[in-house]
Amino acid sequence: MERRDFLKISAVAGATAALEGCGNPDHQLIRFIPEEDLIPGIATWKPSVCTLCPAGCGLLVRVMQGEAEVVRDGRLGLLKMGLAKKLEGNPAHPINQGKLCPRGQAGLQVTYHPDRLKGPLARVGPRGSGQFREVSWDDAIKQLTSQLADLQASNQEGGLALITSPLRGQKRAIFEVFANHFKKSLFVESAFLGDSVIRAANAASFGHALPPTVDLGQSNYVLSFGADFVGTWNSPVAQSIGFGEMRKGRPGQRAKFVQFEQRISHTGASADEWVPVQPGMEGMLALGLAHVIMTEKLRPAAAAGHAGSLIEGWSQGLPDYAPERIATQTGLQAETIARIAREAAAHEPAVAIIGDAATAHTNGYFSALAVNALSALLGSVGKPGGILFSSAPAAKESGVSVEILASQINSGAAAAKVLLLYNANPVFSAPAAWGVRAALDKIPFIASFGSFLDETSALADLILPDHSPLESWHDDAPPSGSARTVMSVAPPAMHPLHNTRSTPDVLLDVAHQVGGALGKALPWKAYDEAIQASFAALYKEKGTKTAKDADEFWTKAQEQGGWWSAEPNPAPVSTGGAPSAAAKATAPQFDGDANEYPFHFLPFASQLFYDGSLAHLPWMQEAPDPLSTVMWGAWVEINPKTARKLSVQQGDLVEVASPHGKLKAPALINPGIAPDALAMPVGQGHENFTRYATGCGANPISILSPLTVEGANSFAWAATRVKLSVVGRGKLILFGGSLTEASPELEHR
Amino acid sequence: MAHNWGMVIDLDRCTGCEACVVACHAENNISTVGQEQAARSRAKHWIRVERYYEGEFPDVKVKFQPVLCQQCDAAPCEPVCPTFASYHTSEGLNGQIYNRCIGTRYCANACPYNVRFFNFYNPVWDKPLNLQLNPDVSVRSVGVMEKCTFCVQRIKAGEIQAAAEKRELKDGEIKPACVQSCPTNAMVWGDLNDPESEASRLANSSRATKLLAEVGTRPKVTYLPRDSWHGTENA
Repeated sequence: MERRDFLKISAVAGATAALEGCGNPDHQLIRFIPEEDLIPGIATWKPSVCTLCPAGCGLLVRVMQGEAEVVRDGRLGLLKMGLAKKLEGNPAHPINQGKLCPRGQAGLQVTYHPDRLKGPLARVGPRGSGQFREVSWDDAIKQLTSQLADLQASNQEGGLALITSPLRGQKRAIFEVFANHFKKSLFVESAFLGDSVIRAANAASFGHALPPTVDLGQSNYVLSFGADFVGTWNSPVAQSIGFGEMRKGRPGQRAKFVQFEQRISHTGASADEWVPVQPGMEGMLALGLAHVIMTEKLRPAAAAGHAGSLIEGWSQGLPDYAPERIATQTGLQAETIARIAREAAAHEPAVAIIGDAATAHTNGYFSALAVNALSALLGSVGKPGGILFSSAPAAKESGVSVEILASQINSGAAAAKVLLLYNANPVFSAPAAWGVRAALDKIPFIASFGSFLDETSALADLILPDHSPLESWHDDAPPSGSARTVMSVAPPAMHPLHNTRSTPDVLLDVAHQVGGALGKALPWKAYDEAIQASFAALYKEKGTKTAKDADEFWTKAQEQGGWWSAEPNPAPVSTGGAPSAAAKATAPQFDGDANEYPFHFLPFASQLFYDGSLAHLPWMQEAPDPLSTVMWGAWVEINPKTARKLSVQQGDLVEVASPHGKLKAPALINPGIAPDALAMPVGQGHENFTRYATGCGANPISILSPLTVEGANSFAWAATRVKLSVVGRGKLILFGGSLTEASPELEHR
Repeated sequence: MAHNWGMVIDLDRCTGCEACVVACHAENNISTVGQEQAARSRAKHWIRVERYYEGEFPDVKVKFQPVLCQQCDAAPCEPVCPTFASYHTSEGLNGQIYNRCIGTRYCANACPYNVRFFNFYNPVWDKPLNLQLNPDVSVRSVGVMEKCTFCVQRIKAGEIQAAAEKRELKDGEIKPACVQSCPTNAMVWGDLNDPESEASRLANSSRATKLLAEVGTRPKVTYLPRDSWHGTENA
């Protein structure tokens, strides 16, 4: 008998003997032997990477000894182990420089969530019934291996589908090997708040298929077309740091920030000038500003270089976009357009950015090209105070979206036999009209690697839950947020609580068991070996000055949370290039007859739930939304005058109907929304997503029309029209401090 | 000279992002109360972001203001406490001794800032959420008032560390959780008795204002109001 086993057994006997008759079952738990040496009460700080959005912020995890109830070898017991207690930003990390957003702060609750899946599960009831039985890891891996081995043997084209969250680094490389090995597989990186429109436009305008790194801290004039850049867009923490600098970081110098959008966003709330614009007219407005700048000879048309040449009529000074001609369509007064254009031209460096709803109209790609041309005309692209592009490798794209995957499967053009699902929830985040649920039902075998049951993973036949991010290895190359080259890496900050396994490790294991070319393409035994290999390559390329050998480079990177270049290292911007076919302005298309459906419907990213993937965290549910102060729910925003006209009171339950569905939510009067628009936060309305999010609020995505952004493979989620009717009294929970106590009978406050 | 802790919040930097609010929950073991209790105004946020709309569409302006315990020098919450649970510490904090508190809630009624919170129930963390608890901060039970402490556990840890190393505390060495997380660096915290500290410098700047200064509470949180663009003089 091993000494450890003997101690375990005597610990069981001792505890039982000493506490016999004690009523509290907690006191009767056995005590496992700790696997790590920790000093009680002393915190250690370990680097990690935040995975809750694509920004890729660096973390420092405060780890302290604690006592966790865990199951080991099938027995419940108490284990003294290092537990993550608090997340802070990593001060050394170039993206977030020690800072963190509210979502990042709540990352702890992902690890400790009571409804996390604690081990592998196999479906027993009908698909979607949520009935699973526990299986061993050996069985689970055997099942997945046999499915993939059968698929390999059948040599069928399009037999494998993969739906993941957007991935980077070696984790993506491992998934990609699977996608490439099986012929014509459908590999989808699914994100409701994806940046594919901006990446496509930046590739066309500037030669970089990357989201921009915005140097707000040194900017003197910021024009933002709908981008919620201090909230959820692109790299919000890096941009918030820059925002603070731009406001009060330079004594005596304060930039002006102008936001154009139809509904005041969390970022628009901090603008010096907030300007409502008609939906889908952002590109036209940008060209109107450019027209003034060129006509008044504040900048020559040629200053915009290649980005300008992409716009029809640019070299002639955009005669069709004189402020007087576009005033009615954009909803701005001609004088306002001219004044803002003159101000921007007079305050170098000035920068123009576009994002969120502005790129989610059907003409969002054109709008992005127009704003890029304006930015180039203002002369700050590739310069301090403007837009930079990092030297990160451009994200590879398979070109397949959830929409394409669903339509191919539903039409029979593709016949996927096996679906690998990882941290994506397309059933929740796709419009009903895409038929995602029906497509998934046609796939005979679905394996999910996620940590929670949600609307999509509940359909899985086999669940192989991943470690939580704090229990996992990380490697990451954030594409924006810093002008320095950043390669994050971090070992696990704590031991796994549950019987979970690292998904990249499981995939490597499965690949080796399937064998053949698949096994050979993945030479590593474990994910950390794969990361180490990529860092060995990075050492040869960049690290020889900072470390004596690849091992030291690797060790240092793990201690620091990654490797980053000492100096800013932005990629050169291509200003030349052959002028391609010039883009012509197109009017935005909206689904729904304007008489029957009088309102534009604007879903917006929630500051707390992001795209809905964080609605399961109680800290996020109970934190008041910045603009509405709503907790634990969703709401429909309506202009006060419109509300008066329709006799809608704050807290009334309203029904919002589009040509594709309807939902109910309480009304919230918002003075910062256009009279012909209704807005709703994305993220609530889960049918199945843990005890905290299930049945809370309504999901605006469910009623969206299935329109696509022209010229880019992306969902036009801001192009639906809706109508509204009052159906009763709703429940709206607003935070106003604790002074006035509400009675439980009150239906709303 | 004893320390005199204070905070400065620059509202021209603040974007109302709520990072401070969640950081505070994580650091200070503040329990969430759930949907039903939240609807009865029993949610606890030691720091909150107040939002003010001005004007009508299309000329709308929004202002954010994070509000936390102002650690007043003439604190109305202190003299009303019958059990001396609310008291003034030697470093200028409005202390709250949880095991003296008998829950009269007089302090909450007296506080003009509405920043004191009552525990209507014993806090519950669905297992294993209890593992997130910070061992440096006591969990408050039913019947007890709680409020912002300026992260007194971090202050004490910093002071002990400096004393052990036989040195003075450095300005900026201690950061409450909200200050540490704030993405726009809108919050600065430090010793107001040290004229060289960043907090002192900003608290004495021409922009400095206090919240409800007219009620005579002498708050130690200073707000620097939202600024506006000064036009072409910067060109």
